[in-house]
Amino acid sequence: MIIGKVAATQKAPTTIDEFYFWTHKDVILSPFDVIKVAHISKGPKPSTTFGVVESISHITDADSYLNSYISNDFGDADLQPNTQRIALNYVKAKVVGNTANIYTPVQHGSQVSLANKQEVAQALGLHNVKNPLACGYLEMYAGEEEKIQLKVNINSKFLIGPEGAHLNISGISGLAAKTSYAMFLFKALQQKFLNNIGERKEESVAFVLFNVKGRDLLAIDEPNVDLTEKDEAIYEMLGLDPEPFENVKYFYPYGHHGTPTSYASKIDLDAQIDQNKGFKYKYVYEYDKESLELFFANIDDSTGTMDSILNYIITEQGGFRGLRNWKEFSKELVDLSNGTSMNNEIKVVSWRKFKRVANKAINHPMFAARADKTKNEVRLEEAITHIQKNEVLVVDIAKLSEDMQSFVFGNVIRNIYDLKLGDSPERDADEIPSKIIIFVDELNKYASNDVPKASPILKQIIDITERGRSLGIILFSAEQFKSDIHNRVKGNCSTHAYGRTNAIEVSKSDYRFVPQVYKNMMSRLKQGEYIIENPIFRSLLNIKFPKPVYKQYKNG
Amino acid sequence: MSNLLSFIAQETGGKTYSSTKFRFERVEMPKLPYEDKPNIVFKRGRNGETDKNIVQPISIAQRAKDIGKSKKQLFKYFLDGSRKTYKLDDIAFDQRIYPIMAGQVGVGCCYRSAPDSFKKAYLEKQIVLALPMCADKDLHPRSTYFTDLKNTLNARPNLQKRNIQITHVIPYSDRQLEKGQRYEDRGVAKVQQKMTDLERKIVVDLAHGRKLNRTTYLLKDGSLEYFERATQNIHEWRTMKDSYRSVVGVSKSFDPELCKNNRGGNIAVDIADMPVFYRTPAYKYAFQEVLFCVWYLRLQSRAHTAGPFSGVIKVEKILVTEEEQDLGLESSEIDEISANLINERNPTAYGKDNRWANHLYPIYLTEKFIKSQYISDAHFIHLF
Repeated sequence: MIIGKVAATQKAPTTIDEFYFWTHKDVILSPFDVIKVAHISKGPKPSTTFGVVESISHITDADSYLNSYISNDFGDADLQPNTQRIALNYVKAKVVGNTANIYTPVQHGSQVSLANKQEVAQALGLHNVKNPLACGYLEMYAGEEEKIQLKVNINSKFLIGPEGAHLNISGISGLAAKTSYAMFLFKALQQKFLNNIGERKEESVAFVLFNVKGRDLLAIDEPNVDLTEKDEAIYEMLGLDPEPFENVKYFYPYGHHGTPTSYASKIDLDAQIDQNKGFKYKYVYEYDKESLELFFANIDDSTGTMDSILNYIITEQGGFRGLRNWKEFSKELVDLSNGTSMNNEIKVVSWRKFKRVANKAINHPMFAARADKTKNEVRLEEAITHIQKNEVLVVDIAKLSEDMQSFVFGNVIRNIYDLKLGDSPERDADEIPSKIIIFVDELNKYASNDVPKASPILKQIIDITERGRSLGIILFSAEQFKSDIHNRVKGNCSTHAYGRTNAIEVSKSDYRFVPQVYKNMMSRLKQGEYIIENPIFRSLLNIKFPKPVYKQYKNG
Repeated sequence: MSNLLSFIAQETGGKTYSSTKFRFERVEMPKLPYEDKPNIVFKRGRNGETDKNIVQPISIAQRAKDIGKSKKQLFKYFLDGSRKTYKLDDIAFDQRIYPIMAGQVGVGCCYRSAPDSFKKAYLEKQIVLALPMCADKDLHPRSTYFTDLKNTLNARPNLQKRNIQITHVIPYSDRQLEKGQRYEDRGVAKVQQKMTDLERKIVVDLAHGRKLNRTTYLLKDGSLEYFERATQNIHEWRTMKDSYRSVVGVSKSFDPELCKNNRGGNIAVDIADMPVFYRTPAYKYAFQEVLFCVWYLRLQSRAHTAGPFSGVIKVEKILVTEEEQDLGLESSEIDEISANLINERNPTAYGKDNRWANHLYPIYLTEKFIKSQYISDAHFIHLF
């Protein structure tokens, strides 16, 4: 359908990168819509230049508001003139490609048309994606007849390595549905690797998710009863089955009297334990004392005193020699803080500071003497070390304090790192999933600009984003405001998903490259809509994804 | 490849001077500043409308409001013509030097089917070249010399490769100039003539196509000045005149000296003082062999406009039937036309044109449409 013509003027010429065209004022177009223009070619057949709508302006021949006011009999708002003022829409389009790779600017007067499904795919570079992985679908054009629904595939090698890796999702709470989108991608990944679609056999994935809010991810292997036929049809269109996740294990922090510190209901929990997919995790001094430094992730230690103390403890110096449990460790700390036990190198006041921070944490029941496997109690490190291909491990940290959440998160990613580095003597390299994908919401807690540079968790995250691609550790992270996140972390993410955000956020430098109209759109995106940036896409894409396949708790 | 002017000199046996080519109107406006006709003769003692009791301006406001509510618009076709003239060179024949004039002529007619639908109905574009008559050295009465010259010029690669054709090569009179006259003006007049011919052709075509009737009128920009007797065939003449039954001409500017009543008195002050949405009585005058009915109408309040006559338009209609010619135009039709014209006052061209208060927007749009069709001055001049 022809919708207008290219207009090249002296003030707004057509260029290699962009062009303008006019349309009738009633033609409905939206940002991100693809349009095509017949263009010159080297042969007899014209080539086609594709453009993506960036902005739409409506103009009339009135050169001032005064003109409009006077033309309504000096302010009569009810006036209906015999002829409506001449008006049109002009559209700024960004060139995304030409079928003959001709980038000479499109010519004045060339007809502009809507594209069909194949052409849209070709324009956006979606027609021939290698290692395809469904990352959503896009809808284009407003008219019933013209409307296009197109599956969007991403090259999985640009999402989970080795070409590019790591995903960052940003958007305000609730409306952006960040977790839902990450889970949608996990669903696509798990199905892909379960079926080994187009992948080499030796490649495999496993997922480690952190549940940070309510019961969000505590029933991901149970079906979503609210899924409508329409949703299922979308899953079918995307080549995915609308079934919940498989091979899921849940890990809850051990609590008082064996009741986990979790928002999960006792019934659900017992059922999961009965089915041997629910576990309670603990930290045992003998094996986990090295993780103590994670408590100090957000504590400024410019003089390195805390570091010295940690070193003192880990190397089992002084009274820490041969300690087996947290209770004795705690007692030793008390002694050192009171000056009862002598240590000439470190001042008492430093021990007191250390004790204050450490005690806050180790008083939690999950810092226990041992884990009883008969009661489905585990050490998280062990669980991580034995992660299986296509397995999904959900680590619940929602009800823990912020310090404890940091501790658990830091501990898990450290364990994954160690596993992939081959530090685990218990497993053959072939058994270990070739890619372990970690998902964490509220990344700003661990890797924001405000986190002290010496934070071991921040260091670990930077390490993963910078080197994880080759190791097979992929980070899917989410946060409300991308601008808060450490530059080295977000800079290393190859894929970015922008959900709904606010005007203050889009004014930050992170959004410099985003055209103004897309920025404005970011503040209007609906739930289930994302703007995706990935190296294989020729421009930003506005995609949608269906409702989650797993059980949704209505009250969190 | 010689340029077209050298080729013309060669073909006509003249000598060109490679004078500077320029857009003629930019240098000097050869036409009258007012849009109405000079030397018109009012029919003394005879009113131009049927109601002879109308001797003072009357209000059309209520009628305009009623028509506005009914949303039945009388004017659906809008006609305008324009031309751009150029002086291309000087050419010498027999010790005399004449200008070579050229023009782009555009005549367009737009159709408004609804307030938000304004489309092209007709568009005629012509390129006209005007040479002195003596360019044809033989000047036989039945000579096709200038048509042949046009065809030869059109076959030249200069025009072929640009896919541009000269529509007419027309001779202008080379008789001796009188005081104040210039050959350039004669050339321009020939270009102007082609424009008026085209305008007339469009009106006749519309009427023949039964597009114009009692409820569908054509509004023409400017005076109906071209309506001189263009044919000697009495039948053809009548047909042509009949075509103007549903055509109204509107002039944005007029000579106050010509604002006369049926007793020959000047009504310039009456017009200037006329309240908004009032019209004057209609007057009748003859121009050549045609009788016209004319009246003035105020579209914008004096309080908002720049001068005494801004906001006032002059309306003309040809008296076609014998009855009309005898008794004048039906006063109700004059009111109907006036009311519809009042409703055309918005949107205005405020800020775009100093005469915004006199503009009728659909006419303004038609004019813009035609002007958008011209090739640029630089391009045009360098064709030759």
